[in-house]
This record gives sequence, structure tokens and C-alpha cells, in this order.
Amino acid sequence: MERLSGQGERRVTALARPFHISLPAISRHLQVLERARLIQRRRQGRIHFIRTRTAGLKEAQKWLMRCALEWDSRFDALEGLLPEDERKDKKR
Amino acid sequence: MKSDVKISGNQVQITRIFNAPRDRVFAAWKTPDQVERWSGCKDSTKVEVEMDFRVGGTFKQKLHIRNVGEYTITGTYDEIVEPEKIVYHVNLGPATTRVAIEFIAQGNQTKVILTQVGFPDENLSRIVSEGTTESLDRLDQILSGQRV
Repeated sequence: MERLSGQGERRVTALARPFHISLPAISRHLQVLERARLIQRRRQGRIHFIRTRTAGLKEAQKWLMRCALEWDSRFDALEGLLPEDERKDKKR
Repeated sequence: MKSDVKISGNQVQITRIFNAPRDRVFAAWKTPDQVERWSGCKDSTKVEVEMDFRVGGTFKQKLHIRNVGEYTITGTYDEIVEPEKIVYHVNLGPATTRVAIEFIAQGNQTKVILTQVGFPDENLSRIVSEGTTESLDRLDQILSGQRV
């Protein structure tokens, strides 16, 4: 990401060079970033150009929404746990 | 979704009312064996919790996630006011977030207001620039919704 930022578009081969890793490996990393919408890719024939995507509020909000969903399902579990204990208390 | 959710900026606020007294709800956050019973996520089969429940104390949750494996998150308690409030920050891998939970007694019910402030983008960039495959694998799991 560091290599990408502030430098506009870069070729995938140029990005991979200093990392001493294979092109398929860097490609896999880039796919993750692309899925996370942190980069965008432009294809010109067989050459792929990568540029960073300004990760804005929308992405952060999506991420937060996922957090909210996780908490909601955790709260469901917690809710299920509470009455169970209440019943146990009554038996005592 | 049964909780009330508000999202603004980089923060999410989740409100839920539980049918139990405040002490009981607070207790569910306080001890490892209780937390293990409800924490985790949709795809976790088991959660192992270690926690030192005091200000400055740390906690660790090892999640066993279906088809993925183990995933550990760590955090530190910043503020504890029993039975009213818990504040902690947690490292989720690609993001560090601060979570504040307020417990408000309403007769035999308890209103829980959870506020999570997250900074996903900055930390995502940091992890990616570190370039470890391991982190990216974890990142990948998180991004595909298998774990938050």
C-alpha cells in the first residue's frame, strides 16, 4: 500500500519487484485489497495497472455495519443465556 | 436484527434491552466462563477466554472458527465502573477499536448501549504495508465475513 500511495498508477510487475515474491503471490495480495475496495485495477491488454482507492466513509460504515451485525448475534446468545440462569435461580 | 443500531462517522452504537436485572447482565461480561457462553461470532464453534477484569488488565479470546481455524483477539480494559460501564480497546488484526458498554437499569430489565469506534482503513493499510501473508490470510477471513 505504501508503494502504491501517492504514486498514481503502478504496474503490477513493478509493484512485485522489490518484494522478492512471485507474481501469483502478489496477485493474490492484490485480490484481497481489491475485494476490500482499497485499490482499483485497470486493464490495458495484458498489463494491469493498480491505483489506491480513497477508502472513504462508505467503507468504514460498511465495516461498522458488520460489527453491528456481529454484536446483534452475540446479544442474541446473551439473551438466551440470561433467562436460563433466571430459571436456575428460581429452582434453588 | 433485534438491536437498535446507529452509525455515524467511524462509530456504531448498538442498543438492546435485556430481560434481566443489571447485576446479572453485567456479570455476563465479567467472568470468562460467562463470556465464553455468548461471545464469538456466527461461525465460531468455541471461544476460549482469558481475562483480567480490572482497569489496565488484558483479555484474550481464542475463537475456533468453522472451516477457518483459530483466531485470537486481544484487548485491554480502560475503564470499569461496576455495574454501570465497561470500556476497552481491542485489536482485531486489521483494526483496533474502542468499545464502551453502558448498563442502564430499568426495573427488572437492563438497557445496554454499546458504542464501538473503529479505524479500519488506517490499520488495514498498515498491515498490508507490512506485507505478511499471514496477516493477509487473516485479513481475507475478516473481509469475507468469517470473523470480525
